[in-house]
Amino acid sequence: MTDPTMLSLSELVTALRDRTVSSVEVTQALLKRIEVWQPALNAFVAVDAEEALRAAKQADTASGARRGALHGVPLAHKDMYYSAGKPASCGSKIRAGWIAPATSTAVARLEAAGSFRLGALHMAEFAYGPTGHNTHLGHAHNPWDRSRITGGSSSGSGAAVAARLIPAALGSDTGGSIRLPAHFCGVTALKPTSGRVSRANAMPLSYTLDTVGPLARTAQDCGLILSLITGSDPLDPTTCGAPPWNPAAAERSPSGLTIGVPTRFYVDELERDVATALDEALETFRRLGARLVKVDLPDETAVSAAALIVLAVEATSIHAPWLRTRAEDYGPQVRARLENGLAYSGVQYLEALRWRGPALEAHLAALGDVDLVVAPAARSAAPTLAETDVGAEGGAAIQTLTSFTRPINYLGLPALVVPAGRTPQGLPIGLQLIGRPFGDELLIALGRAFQVATDYHQRVPPAP
Amino acid sequence: MANELTAEGVAILAAAAGVHLDTATAARVARAVSPTVGRFLAPDIVVPFEIEPATFVVVQHRDARR
Repeated sequence: MTDPTMLSLSELVTALRDRTVSSVEVTQALLKRIEVWQPALNAFVAVDAEEALRAAKQADTASGARRGALHGVPLAHKDMYYSAGKPASCGSKIRAGWIAPATSTAVARLEAAGSFRLGALHMAEFAYGPTGHNTHLGHAHNPWDRSRITGGSSSGSGAAVAARLIPAALGSDTGGSIRLPAHFCGVTALKPTSGRVSRANAMPLSYTLDTVGPLARTAQDCGLILSLITGSDPLDPTTCGAPPWNPAAAERSPSGLTIGVPTRFYVDELERDVATALDEALETFRRLGARLVKVDLPDETAVSAAALIVLAVEATSIHAPWLRTRAEDYGPQVRARLENGLAYSGVQYLEALRWRGPALEAHLAALGDVDLVVAPAARSAAPTLAETDVGAEGGAAIQTLTSFTRPINYLGLPALVVPAGRTPQGLPIGLQLIGRPFGDELLIALGRAFQVATDYHQRVPPAP
Repeated sequence: MANELTAEGVAILAAAAGVHLDTATAARVARAVSPTVGRFLAPDIVVPFEIEPATFVVVQHRDARR
């Protein structure tokens, strides 16, 4: 029998449906793998072994009635997706032991489709950091090199999916928190269009910029997860009016698509391995039948500044009560970021919010008939934990990590990260496919075609 | 520079939000935030008079119908 931990989510769904593997066998195999890897990675904050095995047994014995597309699939998510009656520390000291009163809409929809909880995944404190450092619960470690960062804030999601400890996981992305762990750990991940997936009963960081999305092994897996969690939710008004998932669009051929290649910003000061990966990927897209055109995007440094203002003020507003009374209970980097949010005026915040529409309009005008843009997720592969452990004064250095991801949140666009290269040291390199509003399906289609033509997504890190 | 925040200015804003920042912290915040404030105040960023935050959703959905 194939090791079930090596199956992608889509392969696992098929194997469970065909009963070539049982849910109990899958769960046991994942638990065994977690036992080996967890001391090296610190990817999980909780493993609910007994409860998961009970759920798996129940799925196996369900008298022929499959609950849905994910029947019998164990999943774990970033520890900020609430499950009623379960703790959700959100990577923090402040929320240690806090019990969630309700289940997040995204998790509820995945469970309604038949998945069940295997545990909860590590994250940066309150999702406010792009590296995976966590002073309270220990840092998460990159499965390809334990001295390097996973990226954050969905650090456990990136590490656990890359190390095959879980077939897929939810992360959250406010400035790059899904895409950076995908890039640094070598997995596939989708930050959906703003308004496509409900954020109800997930921990907030920025009401304007937060998005909920999957990290998995393949674009097909990300499409499967998104097809289940997308859609209107009365608990999250931003989802009203979003179009339903279009399965045909997620399977279309890349032939005839027009891909934009940025002339500046996203191609400036790239490390050589990243530039090579971009060039090779573009050649692959050309061979797949896509048309490549240069695209001169508006100045992304302005977009980035607006994103920083919105994020800083909204995060500080959310945390203001604790900042007044429990400031010493934050880690130094998160406290510093929250203090930064105090320095913007109300006028600056509202101007940054008001400019979002015109900025998106200018971006779309620059695209013309371009269907999507291809760009690196970051300038380099994963730096070391030591290099990025910069304390309160190192905010600018850390901000550069999110240079290529933050503008996309402000513009509300979908972006899929696919593994597309390796450094000579074996570190993964990911590229972003950046779509138009509600063009998530097209990204999945192109990602699927790219992963038929390449094998970067199939590489497995060596055992610790 | 008009866009350079001062430690005193930051401390006043923080106090208005009910958070006390000591002088060193306020100075750090001023250094951290000034580049972003300066960039956003640059003349190439123009917010038209009639625009409100929800205009973003209008633009987003208009493109989805394309």
